[in-house]
Amino acid sequence: MTATLQKKICMLGAFSVGKTSLVKRFVESVFSETYLTTVGVKIDKKTVDLSDLTVSLILWDLAGEDDISSLRMSYLRGSAGYVLVADGTRPSTLEVAMSLRRRVETDFGPLPFVLLLNKNDLREEWAVRDEEVQDLQQSGWWVRSTSARTGEGVDDAFGTLAERVVR
Amino acid sequence: MRPIDPRLEQLRNLLVGREIEVLSRLRKVLEDPEQLAIAVGRVLPAAVAQVSSDARLGEVLAPTLEKATQSSIRSDPRTLLNILYPLIVPAIRKSIGETIDETFQSLNESLKHSLTWRGLKWRWEAWRTGVSFAEVVLKHTLVYQVEHVFLIHRHTGLLISHVAAANAVGQDPQLVSSMLVAIQDFVRDSFSGADQQGLDTARLGDLLLWSEPGPFAMLVAVIRGNPPEGLHETLRDVLSRIHDERRHALESFDGDSSGFADLEANLRECVALGQRAQISAKRGFPWFVALVGLVLLALGGLGGWRWWQNEQAWEHAQQLEAGKRRTWDGYVAQLRAEPGIVITEAEQRDGKFVISGLRDPLAIDPQLLLHQAGIDPTSVASLWKSYQGLEPTFVLVRLQRSLDPPPSVTLEVEGDRIVARGSAASTWIDRARVAGRRLPAGGPSLDLSHVHDINEGAIGKLSEAIQSHEIHFNFNQSLPTVGQDAILDQLAKELTDLESLASRLRLTARVMLTGHSDDAGNGTFNLSLSLARAEAVRALLKKRGVDPDLLAVRGAGQLEPLETASSEAARSANRRVSFKVGIEEQQ
Repeated sequence: MTATLQKKICMLGAFSVGKTSLVKRFVESVFSETYLTTVGVKIDKKTVDLSDLTVSLILWDLAGEDDISSLRMSYLRGSAGYVLVADGTRPSTLEVAMSLRRRVETDFGPLPFVLLLNKNDLREEWAVRDEEVQDLQQSGWWVRSTSARTGEGVDDAFGTLAERVVR
Repeated sequence: MRPIDPRLEQLRNLLVGREIEVLSRLRKVLEDPEQLAIAVGRVLPAAVAQVSSDARLGEVLAPTLEKATQSSIRSDPRTLLNILYPLIVPAIRKSIGETIDETFQSLNESLKHSLTWRGLKWRWEAWRTGVSFAEVVLKHTLVYQVEHVFLIHRHTGLLISHVAAANAVGQDPQLVSSMLVAIQDFVRDSFSGADQQGLDTARLGDLLLWSEPGPFAMLVAVIRGNPPEGLHETLRDVLSRIHDERRHALESFDGDSSGFADLEANLRECVALGQRAQISAKRGFPWFVALVGLVLLALGGLGGWRWWQNEQAWEHAQQLEAGKRRTWDGYVAQLRAEPGIVITEAEQRDGKFVISGLRDPLAIDPQLLLHQAGIDPTSVASLWKSYQGLEPTFVLVRLQRSLDPPPSVTLEVEGDRIVARGSAASTWIDRARVAGRRLPAGGPSLDLSHVHDINEGAIGKLSEAIQSHEIHFNFNQSLPTVGQDAILDQLAKELTDLESLASRLRLTARVMLTGHSDDAGNGTFNLSLSLARAEAVRALLKKRGVDPDLLAVRGAGQLEPLETASSEAARSANRRVSFKVGIEEQQ
């Protein structure tokens, strides 16, 4: 079904944090991944049923960048919210996520967002400390740990974000 | 002049010496044009900023500005030219580009077809129908079909509306529209185009993508084949019509496309565009064969010539007739698509077109469309009977006229409902509710659930608090019984709060103070006593800082008793001043 309510959401994160795998398994996709390397963005759709309405999240999957200065900020124009993805086994990707968030905030002001700590299934290699996550949560971040492999937490994260951009 | 008593002068200096000094300084400023200019100049920007929201400022300044612009152009046109240059040049460039494209296209086609048998036939057609040869060639050769039309919100890249031709294939339009915007952004970023410019044409094989930008939305058409350049104009017209009709909704679009269902009709107009392929004739003969043919024809004799002429005349008449018929069918189809028009009969009788049916008085005037379609009105007999349509847009217009909503309420069509939003007095809401119930079944309903009663909320609570107070009086006294200062203080505070809250909410508050008496004594006397009581309370409240304009007074005498018993307790309760709050929308 095609929902009449749509919201533009950007997916941001460092290189190879599993952003594309998240998208690939859990959303409707018609364009090939070569778009990411050529145009720098790929559009996918995630339909989320909230209690009283259905909303289509139009996901702009931006090519992963470790160097955030080269991010095409124009793609974020008109976003209702965004998803930050970091790799739980590589703390440096969390740093990138934090600086991405600062960059977005500077250019577009505060927007609803959710941080996904991906690769939750690799528990023994997990390197992000719980206190760090708690600190972020205390400063108002919505953090979800997810696994693109098992699907854990993914729907919940999109649901939470949809709820926040609609209300 | 009489000599002034020096003592008087001294006294004057003592009493108002300082004021005289101030006055003379002010007078000097007022009388010296230079100083006055400096003084006014100091406050002018702030004064203009103060009244900038007042529309009159623009009206007053407009003639001066026009004159200033005119004299600026007269003295040195370059200044204004430099200002307008960045706006005008891209528009001119684009327009010239399209015209040149169009010319080339027609030149190309003309050259390609001028020396073939088909070309000669078309030349004949051009001569007969009086249009240029190039136009006839274009008409026969440009075969195209608009397959998809997307209306896309520019800021977010979200799809507002999409229509596809019946046989067209395509991916999820919501995804496609965002990807189109992303690719436009990509081209703009990569090759640093100006913000208003973007990718306006892309071609892939025989598939063509044309994009027309508007202020808030862009129209993207996916076309198969070889469209005429004039199609740009058509697409732009549709887009500007959409902007004219729905500017505000487009500007505030936040992803909810449910209110834009009616735009599909506009887009469908574009999708219907196309030029079908003609049944293709054999490949054209070389020109000399055609010449030989012509020579043989010339030798065909008078009889053959006559026959040929008759045949041509007949064919000509047939074609003219067919052309008229096509125009008429187009007109009928267009009329049928109009809301509020029901066609019961449309046919050709004895060389005349006859059309009849029902028409809502709010629907478009069929006569006007007749003009637009280029049909001679004298060749048409129309018979329209009035009826009242249930199309939501019409019901909306009718409701707007009958309900006369206050400026704080907006009515809009949403799906099959008419939704009112904003805030209004309960009297208006009640009236609207009655009108809503009277709407005919089967048509749109009136949804008032988004209208807030201005008497609810904080202001309602404050009104209730004020209305709960009473000021009591002793027998035959017009001043309140002592010991009610605390109540009066409290009342004064609540009334001041009410006034400031009301002005914040752009409402007007009025409080009626009604004086009452007991039933002892003469009715007329009681009436004036009760009025005096209300006046006294108003004076006491005014003394406590309440704006007297907020308060109105009336005397009810003994006619509105609180208690009807004839005991002294009841009489004492009846000697009072009561309060009633009224809230209205500011006009």
